[in-house]
Amino acid sequence: MVIDLDRCTGCEACVVACHAENNIGTAGPDQAARGRAMHWIRVERYWEGEFPNARIRFQPVLCQQCDDAPCEPVCPTYASYHTPEGLNAQVYNRCIGTRFCANACPYTVRFLNFYNPQWDKPLHLQLNPDVSVRSVGIMEKCTFCVQRIRSAEIQAEGEKRELKDGEFNPACVQSCAPRAMVFGDLNDPNSEVSRLARSGRATKLLGELGTKPNVNYLQRESWENGKNG
Amino acid sequence: MKALYALYSDPDAAQRAVNALRLSGGSLGIGERQIVVVTAEPFDGYDFSDEHSRTRIFLLASLGGVVGALFGLWFTRFTQLAYPLPTGGMPVVTSWTNGIIIYELTMLGAIATTLITLLITAGLPHFGEQLSDPEIWHGKILVGVTNPPDRARLELESQLRQAGAAEVKTA
Amino acid sequence: MAKTAEQIRADLLRPVFRSGPAYWLAVGVSGSMVLAGVFAFSYQVYHGLGVWGLNWPVFWAFDITNFVFWIGISHAGTLISAILRLANAGWRRPVTRCAEAITVFALSIGAIIPICHLGRPWLFFWLVPYPSERHIWPNFRSPLLWDFFAILTYLTGSTIFLFLPIIPDAAAARDLAHGWRKKLYALLSLGWQGNPKQWHRLESAMHIMAIAIIPVAVSVHTIVSWDFAMTPVPMWHSTIFGPYFVCGAIFSGVAALILAMALLRKFLHLEEYLEPIHFDHMGKLLLTMSLLWFYFTFAERLTTWYGNDVAEMSVFWSSIRQNFAPLFWTMVTCNLIIPFPLLAIKRFRTITGTVIASSTIVVGMWIERFLIIVPTLEHKFLPYSWGTYRPTWVEITLMVAGFGMMALLYLLFSKLVPMISMWELEAGVRKAPIYRHQAVAFEPSGARARAGVREAEPLATDLSR
Repeated sequence: MVIDLDRCTGCEACVVACHAENNIGTAGPDQAARGRAMHWIRVERYWEGEFPNARIRFQPVLCQQCDDAPCEPVCPTYASYHTPEGLNAQVYNRCIGTRFCANACPYTVRFLNFYNPQWDKPLHLQLNPDVSVRSVGIMEKCTFCVQRIRSAEIQAEGEKRELKDGEFNPACVQSCAPRAMVFGDLNDPNSEVSRLARSGRATKLLGELGTKPNVNYLQRESWENGKNG
Repeated sequence: MKALYALYSDPDAAQRAVNALRLSGGSLGIGERQIVVVTAEPFDGYDFSDEHSRTRIFLLASLGGVVGALFGLWFTRFTQLAYPLPTGGMPVVTSWTNGIIIYELTMLGAIATTLITLLITAGLPHFGEQLSDPEIWHGKILVGVTNPPDRARLELESQLRQAGAAEVKTA
Repeated sequence: MAKTAEQIRADLLRPVFRSGPAYWLAVGVSGSMVLAGVFAFSYQVYHGLGVWGLNWPVFWAFDITNFVFWIGISHAGTLISAILRLANAGWRRPVTRCAEAITVFALSIGAIIPICHLGRPWLFFWLVPYPSERHIWPNFRSPLLWDFFAILTYLTGSTIFLFLPIIPDAAAARDLAHGWRKKLYALLSLGWQGNPKQWHRLESAMHIMAIAIIPVAVSVHTIVSWDFAMTPVPMWHSTIFGPYFVCGAIFSGVAALILAMALLRKFLHLEEYLEPIHFDHMGKLLLTMSLLWFYFTFAERLTTWYGNDVAEMSVFWSSIRQNFAPLFWTMVTCNLIIPFPLLAIKRFRTITGTVIASSTIVVGMWIERFLIIVPTLEHKFLPYSWGTYRPTWVEITLMVAGFGMMALLYLLFSKLVPMISMWELEAGVRKAPIYRHQAVAFEPSGARARAGVREAEPLATDLSR
């Protein structure tokens, strides 16, 4: 995935879309105040100065699907492991809630279901049937909308063809109004994602830790230089 | 179980009694195993038994450790290859981390073998009758003969008394 | 002052056979603490982990603090029993059993906590490697699996280490007790007779156990520390954690042991067995561990500060200067500043002095565990993910229940067996012989007896004993 920070407006449409697509429970004001909100993708907001001279930057942070993910080896039940496609999978059925993965993740993109999620009627009717609902004690995180990946793969296989670049997107990418997010196959050197990832503006979040994240952030200037960014 | 025994307050006296019994035992028709010494604490420095330092428990414990290590080696490798699931960019069979588990299983093997060897060689748990006297818990040492032949009784009694026993009891 | 065997047995078996009202009161209090914990845990399982104070990003707090704390306390028995046995230090004799008991019970409590802290505790058995129908084995790369094996080995080893010397004492109790107790001890003593072969085998087995249990204990707390050190997050990813935690474990273990000894001395009237000299020796050990703990803490903090890594410094300052500063400086006071004069100056290294020092150390070490876990989780790399933590009544109740469980197990144990190993004490009281005897070989034919040999020949002197 590539996220262009110079385009991101901080509208958080991606956050809402993710909640809707992935059956993420709404924590409610009390629980959110206690720090229990579950935003698989969150928009981090950093600013300096006062209006009208404020400089502000938005950074959507989601699971980086690291190649050398520190959350994977620490899970005792293999609930978190690396799929052959290169995704960091979270297998809900295997999770017993030790929360070791969440502590190991440097990006803090993993969430625990502290309670059984509730949907007041009739909101339960809008749950996505392609995605399971997690119960209490289970860890969850962004899956790059694996249900959409699978469904596109199955479709392509049925039609006996390869997947096309840009054929499908995760919910966040689909809903991004300024088109700041791009999704695709980084193994394909001709995909748009690969092309953008080779750009001179591409950086990785906390890349120095050696996690080899697969989300590339594009930004023209770094924050420390003090320019508008 | 018939037995003839005496209680000694002084371990030197007990040692004399044991020695006397051993020297004359054959001629009186008693076997080595019939000479019984019972104490409430290990009297290190005294040898009330013939087979003082020969024990294979150290060797067996080490072997138990080796068995544990081999089991650990096989177990971690086998399970990791049985359902291979890569994590964190590490290889499927991670030798360094498997080493930790192998180490623990080595120690567990050694410990378990020690316990089992102890139980077997000490004859525990023992359910049958055995020669004992509550006085040993007050510091006395019991030296006696189980199932002594009748003709030897008087001679045994006199040997036990000569070593320094106040009284000779029967069980 | 030397006691006879009869006196020793009477003094040490008296508290086992008889109980006063103070005992039952203590059992009642600690039992209620445990029951409160059971209630709190049921509440947690029913409603979900949300009833705790955990949140995003602080996913471990009181639960793992208590886990590391109890595993740490369990290192008491090992140091005293095993190392002092191997060093042949005579003053250990009255102390070994209460130390070994602390180990087994603290370890049991520590082993239960990881089960209770799971999001789905009813599935804890998935951590056990068994051939399952789910076509999967647990992940041996995870430090939690190393914990499983380490704690399993240590618990097995320390239970055996505790139980083996109990066998002869149970035999004594069997012969000196009446009624239902007689049957109980007959079972517990496994039919022990006390012949020289059994004694020799028992002592050999205990020697092996003492040698084996020390590396196991070191590995256990190292592995527990690796629950943190194997993550890349600031101030956890430190190579010093292994030795640091082992040192802290022995430190808190010795302190807990001193407290247990003082309580036993008072309530079981063991004044003539647990003498001020024992507390003096333990106090010196505690002082050594206090200085060693300070050395490790200083080394870790200095390297962090000097390295000036941005993420690590935010955790560092939160402990030293900001919201965790009161706890941090309390910890230093409790672990070093108060104990140091009490333990270093001979006049103050009395029973009272060591007990005060130990009490503050137990508190300080609990705080230390808390300060290792929570500040890091509150301040990970991305500032947007910083958070705060407050415990809820459920976590506090569970913590209290842990202490109650420890007290209860100890109280029940003190009724089962004498808290001081009677035979070891006796063996220490009795002077070793000057001349080492050699066994006379059994003569099947009795020839030497007929020849008039009555005594064994004079033997080599062994003045080294």
